[in-house]
Amino acid sequence: MDAEPILKVADVTKKFGNLVAVNRASLEVNRGEIVGLIGPNGAGKTTLFNAISGLYRPEEGTVFFKGMNITNWLPHKICKLGMSRTFQVTRAFTHMTVEDTVRVGAYNRFNEKNVQDKVDQVIKVCELVDIRKRVCEDLGLASLRKVELARALATEPEMLLLDEAGAGLNATELATFMDLIKKLNQESQITFCVVEHVMQMVMGLCQRIVVLDSGEIIAAGTPNEISNNARVIEAYLGKRAVHARNQ
Amino acid sequence: MNVKKFFNPRNILILFGVGIALVIPLIFKAGQYTMLLMTTVLLYAILASAWNIIGGMAGQLDLAAAAYLGLGAFTTGTLLIRWNITPWVGMIIGGLVATLLAMLIGFPLFGFKVKELWYALSSSALVVVMQSLFMMWNEVGGPTEKYLPVGTSPWYSLRFNDYMPYYYIMLIILVVVLLVNRWIRYSKLGYSLLALGEDEDAVEVLGVNSQSSKLKALAIYSFICGVVGGIFASIYGYVHPAFFDTSMSMEIAILGIVGGMGFIYGPALAAIVMVSFREVLRASLGSQLAGLYLAVYAIILIVVALYQPRGIAPLVERGIKKAQTYFVELTRGRRADIKSS
Repeated sequence: MDAEPILKVADVTKKFGNLVAVNRASLEVNRGEIVGLIGPNGAGKTTLFNAISGLYRPEEGTVFFKGMNITNWLPHKICKLGMSRTFQVTRAFTHMTVEDTVRVGAYNRFNEKNVQDKVDQVIKVCELVDIRKRVCEDLGLASLRKVELARALATEPEMLLLDEAGAGLNATELATFMDLIKKLNQESQITFCVVEHVMQMVMGLCQRIVVLDSGEIIAAGTPNEISNNARVIEAYLGKRAVHARNQ
Repeated sequence: MNVKKFFNPRNILILFGVGIALVIPLIFKAGQYTMLLMTTVLLYAILASAWNIIGGMAGQLDLAAAAYLGLGAFTTGTLLIRWNITPWVGMIIGGLVATLLAMLIGFPLFGFKVKELWYALSSSALVVVMQSLFMMWNEVGGPTEKYLPVGTSPWYSLRFNDYMPYYYIMLIILVVVLLVNRWIRYSKLGYSLLALGEDEDAVEVLGVNSQSSKLKALAIYSFICGVVGGIFASIYGYVHPAFFDTSMSMEIAILGIVGGMGFIYGPALAAIVMVSFREVLRASLGSQLAGLYLAVYAIILIVVALYQPRGIAPLVERGIKKAQTYFVELTRGRRADIKSS
């Protein structure tokens, strides 16, 4: 494992008018890790993801990826450097087939000659072979989540940001999805940062967890440490729950 | 190339269409009015197919086709009137000038992510601005028509006594524009544009430079409009600021949408059906009630919007697929018959 973190977010602040969505948030993700970013609704998780991936410009702070300051870089440049992402609400290319959708991502690093090989490989890895010719608007949520992952994977990222990729999946679909992420992490050495509400996925997948509440990072640690952290319990369940737990 | 594969129902249909278009004027010995009508249909088919690149594929509701067409017409016309430069060269320069204008407008618009209604309004305003500009610019435009000289050689000055040569020139350009559409559709640019038309943010995080992709689409589209503008001026024999016509821009976008956004042959097909229909209506109903043809035209648009919101191309695609299946089954059946006999 490299000594230098692959992603370093330092004191990032993002405001929408008077609303401070993310307030001086800092976090580090080491190469090869799966890090979970959790927090109650409206904590600022997706906003932080958007600031990291270039969709938002933070008012303050810096984002370093692979040692380079990528603050205010455009999303396509960040992708070229090796970071891609998925979205909280699936944003499929509804009128395109699964294969064509993956192809859009594959063109990031491959030319006309070898793009098809990459598309075939990703479709196979993500188990989309049976539906490769189907149009995205005809697919269910579980398949759409996979297609989003596949198109991001086709860009050959070193790091992937998954924004609530497990939301809406049933137990079987979730288990399959988690297995796929573990496989990609272990075999392709892709680093993951995962925003998630599904605790089964967070606890079963992440080596480290960072907790965000009201735009501020309130805790960071292993899944076990986080599940026993009083501030985290308070943020999720309120002060009464902490009090009851202590009694 | 696999000959058997080439002669599938889709290609047979296209070849049949091109063949018909080639021989129609010769077989029916069409009169001047019919030839002008068919040339106009082809003109709209070219413009709608060019619009398909920026509007259909990239999803930008561009309403500036007439600005680029007018600029191409004025460039070609002025070069011929002032310096006797042949329209063959003039239309290429006209295309380049139109592209330059498009880049000047497109760079800030796409840079600031102006899209949807705002992009439509901005591009539409361009047509109005150009019309006012050329109306006041007496050296090149002005309120009166500037006539193109006939010259000694009709092929040099592109000024013919009948419309047939223009028809064939337009037909060649249409085939080229459709081939360009096809080439783009199955290239890296085409996939990026189609995805961009659906979700810009989602495409950017996949490494696609949305501004650059949209500018490329805009450049190709405006160049085609500019080139066609040169022929447009030659057909009418003059240039006038009325060429910057907002309703024409609107109609081209409508044809692109009704034809099927992103489908290669859809906009051209819509232009052939709708513009022919419009002209027939205008000829038959115009004398009874001026403007009635527009009402009928509007009803057709509403019906398409209600029952075929993705345009007529998907309907045609389904028909072709059925024909393909039938074709395959027919050949299989024949093979089986031969084997059994």
